[in-house]
Amino acid sequence: MLLVWILILGLLLIVAPVIVGTLFTGVDEAVDKLPFRWISGQILLWAGFQAICVPFVLLKQSFSAVVLCFNIFTVAVVVVAVLYYLSKRGKGKAKLRVVEQTSKYTYLLWGIFVVLLLAQLLAAAFLAYEEGDDAYYVAISTITAESDGMYMKHAYTGGSTGLDARHGLAPFPVWVAYLARMSGMPSVMVAQVALPMVLIVMAYALYYCIGKAVLREKKKWLPLFMIIVEVMMLYGGYTTYSAENFLLVRTAQGKAVIAGIVIPLLFLLMFLLVEKLQKDEKMKLSYWILLAFVQMAGCLCSTLGTLLTCMLVGIVGLCVLLCYRRWKLLFPMAACCIMPVCYAALYFVAG
Amino acid sequence: MTAIFQKFAGSGFILILFVLALIYLFFCEKRKSRRIMLVYVPAIVLLFFFNPLFFKLFYNLVGDEIYFRIIWLMPVTVVMGYTVVHIAERLQGKKRIGFAFVAVLILMLSGKLVYSSPLYSKAENQYHMPQAVVDICDAIEIEGREVMAAFPPEFLLYVRQYSPVVCMPYGRDAVMGIYSEFEILMYEEEIEVEKLAQLAKESLCHYVILSEEKVLIGDMEDYDYEVYDTMHGYVIYRDKTMNYDTYMQ
Repeated sequence: MLLVWILILGLLLIVAPVIVGTLFTGVDEAVDKLPFRWISGQILLWAGFQAICVPFVLLKQSFSAVVLCFNIFTVAVVVVAVLYYLSKRGKGKAKLRVVEQTSKYTYLLWGIFVVLLLAQLLAAAFLAYEEGDDAYYVAISTITAESDGMYMKHAYTGGSTGLDARHGLAPFPVWVAYLARMSGMPSVMVAQVALPMVLIVMAYALYYCIGKAVLREKKKWLPLFMIIVEVMMLYGGYTTYSAENFLLVRTAQGKAVIAGIVIPLLFLLMFLLVEKLQKDEKMKLSYWILLAFVQMAGCLCSTLGTLLTCMLVGIVGLCVLLCYRRWKLLFPMAACCIMPVCYAALYFVAG
Repeated sequence: MTAIFQKFAGSGFILILFVLALIYLFFCEKRKSRRIMLVYVPAIVLLFFFNPLFFKLFYNLVGDEIYFRIIWLMPVTVVMGYTVVHIAERLQGKKRIGFAFVAVLILMLSGKLVYSSPLYSKAENQYHMPQAVVDICDAIEIEGREVMAAFPPEFLLYVRQYSPVVCMPYGRDAVMGIYSEFEILMYEEEIEVEKLAQLAKESLCHYVILSEEKVLIGDMEDYDYEVYDTMHGYVIYRDKTMNYDTYMQ
């Protein structure tokens, strides 16, 4: 049974996102590798889930309908991604690959990184954390997977309530329920064990991409960068409010995903944008599409939290305006923020 | 906003290091694109955070639970990693290794290991919750319908995560400091059975679960309760007057 659960979750959380992520090949050659495809593919799937799920929640439709529609969506984007990959295969320019000499220190540092990462995964699997908010989020996932209704029951007591539209606008727990429904694994196990193991690795894969981007000319320093990132994560317990603490402790909650994955990914995309501006190059369409999907994925995690992502885009837009005088760039940046602003407005209306 | 920042900063050492890293990069990083993303953007985020006008506007809109998250927009981890690499790159030979080692050590001493939190414990099962909750829920669940059960306060976080069909007359609200009469009674060391039975019946509880360590003033059987089961140091009382038919919604 466990093997079947792992296999299905592996398909949904690793294989499908990696395939879908091929749609974003060429966003930037510095990060255009498997980790980036995995993350960007997952972002597209999250954005799709948000777009499908919220109307169903507001219209008080069944969870099974969401599962059906999202499955159709997933299959459709996987097919499109495969076709896209086949159409692009062999058309890329052959690149001269410079093989850098790897020193024994580099191997040692990567070894330390892997050992520390494995330790975190073991901790995620075998240590339990008494997290109060799980009583809400995980309970919502459990109720949704079993009862087929969404946000219609009181999470803490089980009593019937009216539609909890405010929380329903950021249905990350429903996505957890989707994983539970598809795999057969209980929601609580998906949230407490399976998802942390995947999302922690995804967060580090993202920092690997960020490292590759910021250390573009000095890649031999990447393992040291990753170890510092790891130390920052592990020792992020200086406050319960740090993004690092959220990621390791509340991994399967939407706000942890926004802190640990969505905002760092947005930072990476903004960094790539500024780098291109520096070189006086233009961003590809796939970049702007991904940026919009990141914002949408942020809405899945936390409705008001996405005001933060808009704020980051706004701050970078301000810097772009002041440092490069490229005001035209503000239009696509603003366009990518439309959906989160709409969801935030809906939040206040629904509340 | 200073209070919110202090709450976020914890001991403050990491943020002091972060500010030092920003100052270092401001003077030593020459590339414009990196200066923008690693120095100017975090600085502007801080300016927004401490701007009274922005605070008034944004805080009133979202409250402190969201306001502190503005600090998440500062790429603390990336800036620290990049700064360490930037400095190490300028050094040679053993100094380079020594600096990297010292940097890691300083970060470790400035922060606090996440797993050192007293809220962490060895997981009792694959659900990461007390085995008592799992076993009690399994024991009282009835196929095809919901049941109402009054649980001890220490289980309130877990019951609904595990079972969607076990309902409770009170929930995590109690942990958050919003108490009803029933909840207050469940916290007491000595429980008056007459009061307990009255509240449980008013809430249509099928079961009342009590720690064996609780002192009961009175006899549960006098109020139509029977001992249904005993496990993990808890007694499950069942109300004999309630309906236990399956598939009754």
